[in-house]
Amino acid sequence: MSNLSNQLVIAERDEVARGIRLLLATPLIHERGAPESFDLVRRRRDPIKKWFEYYCGWSLVVEPRLGYARLAKVRAMADASRPPRRHRSGRAPFDRRRYVLLCVAGAELLAAPVTTIGLLADRVTRATATDEVLTTFDASARGERMAFVDVLRMFESLGVVEVVDGATESYVDSAEAKVLYRVDAALLMRLLATTTGVSQLAVPIDEVPTRLDELLAAVSRERRYGVVGTTPVSDVQRNLWLRHSVFRRLVDDPVVYLDDLTDDERAYLNSPTGRQLVRRAAGESGFLLEERAEGMLLVDPDGIATDSRFPDDSSNAKVAALLLLDSMDMAVTIEQLRLTASALLTRFPSWAKAYRGDNGPAELVTDALAVLRGFGLVRIGDGVVHPLPAAARYAVSGARSADQDNAEAQR
Amino acid sequence: MEPIRVPAEMFRFTSGDRAGLYISVLHAFTEANERLETALSLDDLRARLRAVGRLEALEDEDLTRALGQLREWDLVDVNQNHAENYLTAADYERNNLQYSLTRRGEAAFAGVLHALSVLASTGALQTAVLDAIADRLGDLLTLLADDGADRRIFTTVMELEGHLEALSTNTKQFNGELQRLLRADGADLSTFHEVKAATVAYLQEFVTNLDQRARTIEARIGQLEEHGASRLHLRALRGADLPKISGTDPGPEWLAHRQARWEGLCAWFLPPDGARPRVEQLRLVARRAIITLLQVLDRITESRRRASSAVADFRELARWFTVLPAQDDLHRLWATAFGLSSARHAHLGHPDPELVSSSATWAEADPVAVSVLLRSSGRTERFSRTGRVREVAAIKAARAEQALAERAQLEAAWDMLDTDGRVRLSHFGKLDHSVFERLLDLLGKALASSPSAAGTRRSTTSDGKIEIVLRDPADGAVAQLITPRGRFSGPDYEIEIRAFGGRQVKEAAR
Repeated sequence: MSNLSNQLVIAERDEVARGIRLLLATPLIHERGAPESFDLVRRRRDPIKKWFEYYCGWSLVVEPRLGYARLAKVRAMADASRPPRRHRSGRAPFDRRRYVLLCVAGAELLAAPVTTIGLLADRVTRATATDEVLTTFDASARGERMAFVDVLRMFESLGVVEVVDGATESYVDSAEAKVLYRVDAALLMRLLATTTGVSQLAVPIDEVPTRLDELLAAVSRERRYGVVGTTPVSDVQRNLWLRHSVFRRLVDDPVVYLDDLTDDERAYLNSPTGRQLVRRAAGESGFLLEERAEGMLLVDPDGIATDSRFPDDSSNAKVAALLLLDSMDMAVTIEQLRLTASALLTRFPSWAKAYRGDNGPAELVTDALAVLRGFGLVRIGDGVVHPLPAAARYAVSGARSADQDNAEAQR
Repeated sequence: MEPIRVPAEMFRFTSGDRAGLYISVLHAFTEANERLETALSLDDLRARLRAVGRLEALEDEDLTRALGQLREWDLVDVNQNHAENYLTAADYERNNLQYSLTRRGEAAFAGVLHALSVLASTGALQTAVLDAIADRLGDLLTLLADDGADRRIFTTVMELEGHLEALSTNTKQFNGELQRLLRADGADLSTFHEVKAATVAYLQEFVTNLDQRARTIEARIGQLEEHGASRLHLRALRGADLPKISGTDPGPEWLAHRQARWEGLCAWFLPPDGARPRVEQLRLVARRAIITLLQVLDRITESRRRASSAVADFRELARWFTVLPAQDDLHRLWATAFGLSSARHAHLGHPDPELVSSSATWAEADPVAVSVLLRSSGRTERFSRTGRVREVAAIKAARAEQALAERAQLEAAWDMLDTDGRVRLSHFGKLDHSVFERLLDLLGKALASSPSAAGTRRSTTSDGKIEIVLRDPADGAVAQLITPRGRFSGPDYEIEIRAFGGRQVKEAAR
């Protein structure tokens, strides 16, 4: 008999798994930018929605007619290594000015459904001038215009504004550039993933820097879990919270160490139910689950659900990170790593041109450590780098030395 | 299309201080014309003016001046009437001048009336109009066959043109209103909602009905074209009996008009050069409007939610970003507030993760396979992961084999059943179960068909290869068939089972 229905089930399972990982990598998928991904998520939206709701408590909104899918990742992030990047060749992360302009422009874009870059810049100037905290936006400075353009390019890529006429980039050269935008206000509002409005907290502005952790937790607190940690909540709410908080880490972070979890979370993850659910979730979303004594991690063999890969040869810093990791059997000081780095630079003379300056080895170490930290492989404190357990995944295996010696001999 | 040229000064009377008076005067003349009075004296005119609702007193001098002005614009004509019996000189002076509308005056006023009616009307897309067009076309087809029906052809052509006109004006107006509706933002939201939802429902209904009706019309136009549209129009002209008032023969011009209208009709439904019929454009417009309206509705519902607080949130966030000291804190705030950052995962794993115990430490487990090249030369081998391709050759072969087997089984069954002439059902006697099932299937099919006059029922299998002919037993005998699974009894039909195609060849060879 035909096993067509079996084939369909397999196809659906693959697509759902792919859709889940696509959304983890890009929580906002716009039809204009990624038609194929959007189409997949649109077709399989029901099972994908259920998966995110059950395991992570995250809501997925798919708007087939408006052409976007938005996964609201509610979570107080402790990881600073995944910033938004400029849409330029350097892919430099956003800086303070860009973040500020992004927020101010976001507020001003809500005012009218259609606007031009000049009008928007005027509104941003006025808004920043009237606010005593913000630095006034100065459209006559090229650097400012550049930052403004980066912000608008970001909105464009998110699908919040659509260029009707002109090119945003032309504003860098001249403040007189004419660019016409259509604004999707509904989508713009969907950008905010906070459960409590930032403005509703009404925190005095000078307290913000000192209370940041508490504030991040406050804006992402959800009422359905009760008030975690302070007042006793019902068992149902606590279990829901345990499941969601554990899975949010698992699906979003490269490694989850048991030491970083609370006692309750650790107990949940070690319970038969917890383990079983983790395995099921990984299977349904196409991840490989790696369980170890110290923690667990999800491996995405297709590399879909990640913004960056390690180990990889896409940058000198990543290669250096892998090589430095080999030299880290136990905690080492940054000084030692610098020595190793400069040894590497001498050993491979034609490699890493950008790090050949006086300060080269130090910069190489800084960048490489940022990579390792981003993948949850090292911890840095007081000038000492501690390799974390998962770093052993990338250790040099026994078979390697002969190969490498050969390779080096050939140089 | 010819550019439109309006004669100079034709509509001058609609503007200026005295426009009201002018319009009343023309109105009065038109009213009088409807009662077949075409020439009015000053006094007649005054009475008529009251009848059309201009009640205030009017000096003779003003009225004369107004008429003079209208005459100057060539809207009104004046001539002297010598036929009356005038009693006094004053009477003669007053009444011998008679005013009437010129052709241009009639047209100008009709234009004004039309403009007002367009202003007041609402456009609608009506399937009824489409039906009427299809009906009139059908009528014309039947009338063409009848020799003496010229007059009826004339009236039907006129009706057809009327409906076409209604279709195109209605569509124009409806489309205009639709586009205005799409543009209008920020109207009263609840009515906005209601109106748009109703419009969407209406459009959906219309589009659903459009296709089928357009096809009917298209087919009928095609048939009429075969007869020749110009012949149709010639007969309509004969039926029209046009009078020759102005001396020239109105026939050619009339025919040209009909031809133009006919082309208009074709442009709507069946353009000659294979261009897109306008009716299809209509459907496109309707579809697009449905989508746009729904989007606007969504947008309204969405943006009404927490619009103001979003602005405040964005502003507050900008302040927070300004005061946070460390770069890392900025990134964390971004990630938390916007939830847009990507997940991050390792992509290298063990081929079979279950082989390693979950209680082992990472140090005890084997490391994952990192490209050797990466460590030695800083490059990964550039071959990408092979896609997951399933091995399907075996499945394919198995399926083909199964299909062959089934086919063979089927052939065998047909061979068993082939009666090679007429037999009784009881003739089969003992049957294999699968063969019996085929037979039952065929019997069922034949019995489901209605018997012919001679009492035979006929049916074929769905692939058309096997035919069965069935007659009720004349003697009412009962047949019994025995299969390995039991006994079947039923009326002893006369049966003939034949295979088409290959089977006959086989028979011939036999």
